[in-house]
Amino acid sequence: MNTRNQLLCAWCGVAFAILFTLGFWPLSHFMPPPSPNASALDVATMYREHTNQIRLGLLVMMGASGCILPFAAVISAQMKRMEDGPSVLSYLQLASGALGVVFFIMPCLLWSIAAFRPERDAELIQLMNDAGWMVFLMPFTTFMVQNIAIGLAVLGDRSTQPVFPRWVAYLNFWVAVLFLPGGLLTFFKTGPFAWNGLFAFWVPFVVFFTWYVVMFALLRKGIIAQAQPAGAR
Amino acid sequence: MGVPQVAASRGGRIPGEAGVWFFILGDMVMFGLFFTVFVYYRAADVELFAAAQHSLNQTYGALNTLLLLTSSWFVVHAVESARGDHAPRARALLACAFLCGLGFLVVKYFEYGEKIRAGLTITSNDFFMYYYMLTGIHLLHVTLGMGVLAYLWQRLRGGTQLGAHMSALESGASFWHMVDILWIVLFALVYLMR
Repeated sequence: MNTRNQLLCAWCGVAFAILFTLGFWPLSHFMPPPSPNASALDVATMYREHTNQIRLGLLVMMGASGCILPFAAVISAQMKRMEDGPSVLSYLQLASGALGVVFFIMPCLLWSIAAFRPERDAELIQLMNDAGWMVFLMPFTTFMVQNIAIGLAVLGDRSTQPVFPRWVAYLNFWVAVLFLPGGLLTFFKTGPFAWNGLFAFWVPFVVFFTWYVVMFALLRKGIIAQAQPAGAR
Repeated sequence: MGVPQVAASRGGRIPGEAGVWFFILGDMVMFGLFFTVFVYYRAADVELFAAAQHSLNQTYGALNTLLLLTSSWFVVHAVESARGDHAPRARALLACAFLCGLGFLVVKYFEYGEKIRAGLTITSNDFFMYYYMLTGIHLLHVTLGMGVLAYLWQRLRGGTQLGAHMSALESGASFWHMVDILWIVLFALVYLMR
């Protein structure tokens, strides 16, 4: 049943959540996110005053992002148990989950570029900072697809002992909907829909990591249940 | 056949499957947050919001309200018909509800078109930011709900053994009613509240 490897992958999700937050919060100075309305000079000053701290924090965030992959893999491994025949939803989750990693790694690279030559023109630093934040918070598609795939698989689970309880499907659908407002940060520099706003940042941030914790707990239960002798299933 | 699953005490039964209420209540929490934020920022700039509100087409808003209320009425009767094993009637009613939803979309098309032609876009001012965001996300839910109605319509195609479909029907109906309620609150707050 490959229990140990599956559990290892599931724990990677926890590692990601903790390490990423560590890099993001105390290290990178990105909590709370700098306002999109800040002047180029203010943005450049932030990068100039905390250069090495930001660089280190970004490294930690980027490394942590690798842990998203095993987590996505083990979700698909469990989803395969829910699907009858060609496990298309498992493939979809894996594909979208893996693609989502890009939107964690790329922002770290873009912000690193901003921090690379702090003596650069302030406008250029602001440009790279903008790029990082928008690549980080604007893409909602892959995450929505990932959550919807999980939800559909859970609803379609016809086994006598379902892998996940049915409410998990609706949780995933809800999470998918909550990622949506992020895409609209493209229109706003201030307010709750800007990249430092309630609906574009805070809600997705809280929801995303809560989802990790909940899914981890469920995965662990599912993996251990799978390892039980056949009679118990 | 579908009856045994009903709990002994009728009063204690939740319509549809329990999990879907997670989504419905979660969605209502999200919209509650939207509405709260709207009211909060409105209080900070009542003049701007009140002035901007004047440009809204109350007729379109009222028409949309009427369409959604009617569609909910259709959905209620569709569920009732299904309970009575009248599949063709249930399907017809679901189709009517779907058409009301389509009407809502059409009205929105004209409403947005009118605003945009007048130069009132999502970045015009704070009021219109909320107007477009709130009605837009709600519109998405209407479209989603229409998808659910279409799915239910398709599911009743067999015409018999409707007991097996009641859970899905009630779940979908509950979602649609939520979409309706959200619109009523939205209409009151954004279009009407002075």
